[in-house]
Amino acid sequence: MTATATEPSRGVATQDDRVATRPLAARLLSRPEVGSLIAAIVIFLLFMAVAEPFRNVANVGTILYGASTIGIMAVPVALLMIGGEFDLSAGVAVTTSGLSASLLAWNFGLNVWVGILLALAVSVAIGAFNGWLLLKTGLPSFLVTLGTFFILQGVNLGVTRLLTGNVASADISDMDGFASAQNIFGSEVTLGPVTLKITVLYWVLLTVIAAYVLLRTRAGNWVFAVGGDAAAARAVGVPVRATKIGLFVAVGFCAWLSGMHLLFQFNTVQSGEGVGKEFIFIIAAVIGGCLLTGGYGSVVGASLGALIFGMTQLGINYAGWNPDWFRTFLGVMLLLATLVNMYVKRRADLR
Amino acid sequence: MSTATTERHDAAGHSTTPIVELENVGKSYGNVHALRGVSLNVRQGEVTCVLGDNGAGKSTLIKIMSGLHDHTDGTMKLDGVVRRFGSPREAQASGIATVYQDLALAPLMSVWRNFFLGNELRKGPLRTLDIARMKRICADELGKMGVFVPDLDGPVAGLSGGQRQCIAIARAIYFGARVIILDEPTAALGVKQSGVALRYIVKARDAGLGVIFITHNPHHAYLVGNHFVILKLGRVVLDAHRDDLTLEQLTTEMAGGQELGELSHELRGVDPGKVIDPGEVEHGQVEAPALSPEERKAVEREEEEELRA
Amino acid sequence: MMRRSRMSLLAAGAVTALALAACSSSGGKQSTEGDAGKAGTATTPRMTVAFITHAAPGDTFWDLVRKGAEDAAKKDNVDLQYQSDPDGANQANLVQSAIDKKVDGIAVTLAKPDAMKANVQKAVQGGVPVVALNGGIDAWKSMGVLGYFGQDERIAGQAAGERLTKDGAKKALCVIQEQGHVGLEARCDGTKSTFPNTEKIYVTGTDMPSVQAAITSKLQQDKSIDRVLTLGAPFALTAVKSVKDASSSAKVVTFDTNKDLVGAIKGGQVEWAVDQQPYLQGYLAVDSLWLYKTNGNTIGGGAATLTGPAFIDNTNVAAVEKFASNGTR
Repeated sequence: MTATATEPSRGVATQDDRVATRPLAARLLSRPEVGSLIAAIVIFLLFMAVAEPFRNVANVGTILYGASTIGIMAVPVALLMIGGEFDLSAGVAVTTSGLSASLLAWNFGLNVWVGILLALAVSVAIGAFNGWLLLKTGLPSFLVTLGTFFILQGVNLGVTRLLTGNVASADISDMDGFASAQNIFGSEVTLGPVTLKITVLYWVLLTVIAAYVLLRTRAGNWVFAVGGDAAAARAVGVPVRATKIGLFVAVGFCAWLSGMHLLFQFNTVQSGEGVGKEFIFIIAAVIGGCLLTGGYGSVVGASLGALIFGMTQLGINYAGWNPDWFRTFLGVMLLLATLVNMYVKRRADLR
Repeated sequence: MSTATTERHDAAGHSTTPIVELENVGKSYGNVHALRGVSLNVRQGEVTCVLGDNGAGKSTLIKIMSGLHDHTDGTMKLDGVVRRFGSPREAQASGIATVYQDLALAPLMSVWRNFFLGNELRKGPLRTLDIARMKRICADELGKMGVFVPDLDGPVAGLSGGQRQCIAIARAIYFGARVIILDEPTAALGVKQSGVALRYIVKARDAGLGVIFITHNPHHAYLVGNHFVILKLGRVVLDAHRDDLTLEQLTTEMAGGQELGELSHELRGVDPGKVIDPGEVEHGQVEAPALSPEERKAVEREEEEELRA
Repeated sequence: MMRRSRMSLLAAGAVTALALAACSSSGGKQSTEGDAGKAGTATTPRMTVAFITHAAPGDTFWDLVRKGAEDAAKKDNVDLQYQSDPDGANQANLVQSAIDKKVDGIAVTLAKPDAMKANVQKAVQGGVPVVALNGGIDAWKSMGVLGYFGQDERIAGQAAGERLTKDGAKKALCVIQEQGHVGLEARCDGTKSTFPNTEKIYVTGTDMPSVQAAITSKLQQDKSIDRVLTLGAPFALTAVKSVKDASSSAKVVTFDTNKDLVGAIKGGQVEWAVDQQPYLQGYLAVDSLWLYKTNGNTIGGGAATLTGPAFIDNTNVAAVEKFASNGTR
């Protein structure tokens, strides 16, 4: 409204031909996700060449499943990183969410759906708490969420033991609402020869929505701004606190979605699970072109990063390679992907 | 906003009633008086220069006018009405825009995204960003200021200091600022780029804005200023119109006047060959020490906490 | 007014209906009852036993060991201090802290014997009786430990291999959930020694979805695999899903059990499980320390007391199921 009110008084608009647009190819190459796209294609072709089962269309579902469970979390984690923050508790928060739903429903004899909604509240609250603590204390998010990471790990174990006497949640598959919830969070759809787990659907949906929000909405603009320069963003009126807390809540929401899949795919949740996954999410985002310093990155890239992970993890199995070297191979792949990323970006910036 | 526009049309030429009036404004943090008894008038189509050394209270003054801080003494009037700003947003809505030394630009964001940051144009039922229109307007507005960037999609980090300054000024003007506060716009720039920035100040003045030009450089100030205020230790020590002041006087006052004379005398005794008279001091290339971005962030966060508490 | 009261009545009705719907008519906590180890309590003086394992947080196997230890402690009037750390050096430190606390006995797992040796010997020399359990069958004697309760992982693996041969299996996939774990490697190696056509696969045990995807992909890659041998109960249940995903005809067999796995054997999804009776390991470890302290007894006559391998399959699952629901098998 400000703009429309003042626009007429600005005088004659001059069409300026000096503001040239760069050629399409150069613009495409300067996108943050282009490195991960190239890396994904290379890795895809590599395994296509060496692993016979990789070429089988029916196995696409397995590869995408492996990628989707990483991707669902890599997308919000990438958003958060673009917003200039980390969340080291993202991995165990998934376990916490699954445990919350399961334990609450089981302990109080509730309908499973009530447990699911309570777990959503718990997950969102954890995200909001991370964001609030970060802004309240002014500590780096690396430290704040490291604290939450340990707290949640302990709570996962402690509360599970307290309620069930064991370290895994009790099987709730015989409780009301389990079957319908399993349809939502743990089912699969068959498309011709390919059987896709529902997580793949959620992953693609999340990627599309997040990419849209990031690039085409005001909120997305704010995410870039708070990560690029929070003080500058505040000075022009961007609600920095709300944006950052919102990003942490988004991570919480996706942790809930992942946690529900964990619960309804496996019926029980092991309380020690999820440790170490936070780094996988961050690495996927970094491969996808997110800067560790914030203000720059892409959710599509993060999803491609998750895909690279999924393809590599399973491609090694498909190729029948000696598994002793799996992690070494994974490490080399990651380094290569990141280097390709850097190289392409540099080339594009030079144009 | 509409009142602002109409008034601008009503007030043909140079209005004599000030847009912003400060009367005996002061600010203290506990026992520390950062600013005391400052009176200042900002008129349309005028450049008011606020000079002062580091720690003289310039930044406190900016923060009061831009809504980051509340003053503890005196009154601030906007169009003759006593006002207090609760937030930078409120100040902006009242037509007071501040261009900070760090320019409030996110370095890795594209030119047009920075231009519309916090005031994004949206369209359609989904409230999607109207990217085409924002790019067009951005190019037009920059063109009016005489700046041409090669690629509106490129990050602002790739532009020169003067160009970035211009984006920040053009942005403030476009979003309906009547008063624009420029915080040391030339401090971090070389001679040539400083010239570019000063040209934009004149353009902004000619566009009918009230400009507050904060600087420590009397040469820059005298080139564009209509009115000069020198702050020292939180007090106004000089308040004069251009007609009543020469560059020499301004330079001497700014450099510390009497004090500098004494210092010059003292230093001459130590190393006579290297001291020149205060009047001949070349200020053009002296760069003021500024807060690093980290320090600035820390300070602002702290202040925000204070405000909220 | 009328309208409003009717509205509120409707709202109240809806809330009641919701509250009722919110409860599950089946399952939940109420279905698990029972208390094992109801034997009488000893009147001997209270003693303190430190129970130090290499359990990773969240590994269900150790629930059973711990229950056995707790039941024995209850019966023997023992103050049980259960601690665990999967890192060898940290576990050794826990032994040191037990010595510092002057406990009356230490039960310890020796999964990483080299790391544990110095501190265990320090305890023995300081006059604290120590028993070993679960891991370290080759190492316990040289450290001066009183007894060992567990299974020989290699022998257990060999037994599994023999069983696979007897079942007429063609090719087995041995799923290792923790790379570099000696005991798990020994199980697979033992199996391979009696059933040569065994292949290993390493999965990330703390990430179930990736375990599932990894096993699925392996089954898709190698169609000749007709047995999936997992080394822990939760992984067997995941492998069942992988077999289904890969449309494989492979059967799932496993080491170790828990309540859900016993159900899966009963339901036919899992063929059999090699049981090392973890409850017994925990129970005997504590009980033997009590016996030693109160009566100078030792168990095993200087040799390891083997708690396994025993097989649970459809012939005996009914008997085991009853105990499993108590959380003791």
